[in-house]
Amino acid sequence: MSNSQEMVPSEKWPNGFIRIYRGLTTINFVSRTKIYFAVSVIVIIAGICSIALRGLNLGIDFKGGTAWEVIATSTTTAEVTRAVEAAGVSQPSVFILGGSTVHVEADLNALTGTDLTRVENAVADALAKIANKSGNQVSVSTVGPTWGGAVTNRALIALLVFFVAVVIYISGRFEPKMAISAFVAMVHDLLITIGIYSIFGFQVTPDTVIALLTILGYSLYDTVVVFDRVRDNTKGILNNGSMSYSEMINLSMNQTLARSINTSLVAILPVLSVLFVGAELLGATTLREYGLALFVGLMAGAYSSLFIASPLLAILKEREPRMIDLRNRLAAKGARTVMSARSAAELAGGGGSSQDASSSKATITAKARKQKRR
Amino acid sequence: MASGPASKRSLIIALCATLLLSFGSLTLTLVLGWAPKLGLDLAGGLSVVYKPTTQASKADMLQVVQILSNRVNGLGVSGASVNLQGTDVVVSVPGATNAREILASIGQTAQLLFRPVLCKTTTAAKLEPFTGASLPPCGPQYSMAASNLGVSPNPQSGAGYTINPVQPDPSFSTFPSTPSSADLASKAVLLPATGNTGERYILGPAQMTGTSLKNAIAQQDQAGAWIVSYNLTSAGSALWDQVAYANFHGLVAIELDGVVQSAPIIQPGETAPKSFGGSGQISGSFTESSAKNLAIAMQFGSLPVRLEPLTTQTVSPTLGHSALVAGLGAGLAGLLIVLLYTIIYYRALGLVIVLGLGVSAASLFAIISALGKTALAPSFDLAGVTGLIVSIGITVDSFIVYFERLKDETRAGRTMRSSVDRGFKSAWRTVLAADLVSLLAAGLLYLIAVGAVRGFAFFLGLSTLLDIIVTWYFTRPLVTLLGRRSSDSSSNFSMAAGIGAEVKHV
Repeated sequence: MSNSQEMVPSEKWPNGFIRIYRGLTTINFVSRTKIYFAVSVIVIIAGICSIALRGLNLGIDFKGGTAWEVIATSTTTAEVTRAVEAAGVSQPSVFILGGSTVHVEADLNALTGTDLTRVENAVADALAKIANKSGNQVSVSTVGPTWGGAVTNRALIALLVFFVAVVIYISGRFEPKMAISAFVAMVHDLLITIGIYSIFGFQVTPDTVIALLTILGYSLYDTVVVFDRVRDNTKGILNNGSMSYSEMINLSMNQTLARSINTSLVAILPVLSVLFVGAELLGATTLREYGLALFVGLMAGAYSSLFIASPLLAILKEREPRMIDLRNRLAAKGARTVMSARSAAELAGGGGSSQDASSSKATITAKARKQKRR
Repeated sequence: MASGPASKRSLIIALCATLLLSFGSLTLTLVLGWAPKLGLDLAGGLSVVYKPTTQASKADMLQVVQILSNRVNGLGVSGASVNLQGTDVVVSVPGATNAREILASIGQTAQLLFRPVLCKTTTAAKLEPFTGASLPPCGPQYSMAASNLGVSPNPQSGAGYTINPVQPDPSFSTFPSTPSSADLASKAVLLPATGNTGERYILGPAQMTGTSLKNAIAQQDQAGAWIVSYNLTSAGSALWDQVAYANFHGLVAIELDGVVQSAPIIQPGETAPKSFGGSGQISGSFTESSAKNLAIAMQFGSLPVRLEPLTTQTVSPTLGHSALVAGLGAGLAGLLIVLLYTIIYYRALGLVIVLGLGVSAASLFAIISALGKTALAPSFDLAGVTGLIVSIGITVDSFIVYFERLKDETRAGRTMRSSVDRGFKSAWRTVLAADLVSLLAAGLLYLIAVGAVRGFAFFLGLSTLLDIIVTWYFTRPLVTLLGRRSSDSSSNFSMAAGIGAEVKHV
């Protein structure tokens, strides 16, 4: 084997990017499970501590309150705060987005009926004066204290139903152990996103809840693509007998790595655009709320598809007696533990393995071992 | 689906039909001048979600929807809608520019209650939250019972009667007014008088409701002051006489939606209770419009339940427009970055993705515009824009899944020609599995969630569905045809270069 190493032309082994591009990576996803799980557990525990100590920064939609928005060029936060306080509201929170969108929030839950309307109109008029517009050109949204609760409850019900439906769907289309792994990955994304929201004090709104649900869908979508390949590769694994289940998962993940990275990129790029172009540059408040949650969640989702769902599946499957059997058989045979993507493509593709392809299998395997030692 | 490689002819037909259908419908949409029906946050306008404060039957809520529709339409605004979502009533008036006025007139629940006045109070500068289960009784010297008021008819005095001065009870002045959720007909309440004067009333349980009224009209009395005259139903007439008898020479407050409109003394000009004979008048400090509003509310608008606004949103059209620009800007910028990335990564195949997204975008615009003409789809709002932006990722991913499979196949030593067919077969299964999960999520969200979530889910689901169609009827024929033509070109922009394949000579 050491001889064949020297036979490899050097340009066949370019940098990491090309290896990912060609699906030739040999990252061992499965064996470093403990590190990946530890990273997630630490982030999740930090998040839970933060929620316990600081709670979540809930927006007016959950607590109830009133928000005003107007486009005013050349005004300052201080000027707006003074005007709003003069209109009879204490402690308003004022921020200016995109240079001209003035956004004011205040808790007016103590007021009801006509009193509420009077104060709301007074603030709207004060803001209109600053912006040099009429009172009707100020956007006002009032949220009763129970509305956010209603939205959240419905979202939670949707979430539970979604979880159940997904577990049934994956159990049916793939297998129950994959359903469990995908489910754990989704809960992981949920916990990480909520934790990060608490740690950084980002405001939680119903829009955040919507975005969170999408993230789960997306993370799952990502996981399903990897599992689809795993299912493909492990068809007849017991008869074929050249690789253990973990190795097959590892191989599948390396094969789909380019796709996983590309998918995450094409999902995250538009979301970044929502955050920076839509919210910061052009000042759309709602877009910021969606964008932030989607961004945090997609990152967590990309991580969990690679480092949580599949390794967990490996752990679950390796406990099956027939898989233990297979592993022992392979160990007795002294089989290699690393296999190249190329050779596996032949395996998975079934047949078509020409003479020169099988010789390159050995080559790449040896090379991969060398890489690993470094 | 089809087994074995499809014929060249059928592929070309599928491809042409897809291109024709998507860009044709886009052209048709543009020619017709159709555009997506924009939601509130993009077009500007007004939206309110009302919730009944007490348990209400389905029939009650349908009646509420009917009455609110009448009121909104009576204001002469176009495009308004009133819908029932669960037990909530959603009123939306897109494009409204006089939101404040509209809100004031549809907002009144017009639940009329007739309550005896127990005593009066003022409003202190600082209110303490009231935590007690029920209001304490009025101090004896402040009671406005008939015995304390000592009304006696006196034709010589200006008012036609004399009355003892009774002071407001100061012990209530720091209490907040009863919120609408606790303003029950069966309970004693503390309510403000109309016109923000600071005057407030402590009132006993209601003795009669607006359902006893037959009709009402605003008119001027001899002195030119606005009053509301009303007629009672036959049952109401007897009830009202009972109420008047019980409160003879006392005060009965007429409460409309938690505000005391008027608290007249019952028959101060009489020495003994006298039947009203089925009609009466409410006088007070009415203006022409407030008298007319009260009369309209009494005659047409008495809702079967009290409504409470859960959330009110008014968006100025200018702000809506700037949000639209922001949403479109973000979408286009995101699209451009993604396209740039795919072209750099996949070279010529990247152009397939560009064309594929073009097909998707053209069809989406046509479909959304057409749906905007119906009541089927939620209007296109910022949440929907976000749904579409997210779906860019899902659409492009289907291409990526396929192209990565192509890479695998060619790397396994297959020709481009056989790779495109085999690659599609496995990619199609993956795309279908993954898209079905997305559809599942979108469908459940659409069915279960409320508010903006539904719009988001709808447009996400729609574009995912389209992704499946585009993958089968566009990507498959185009890439298959390209693959069959593909020769081993060393050009940087060949199909082979796009997937980094070492294609064998055939």
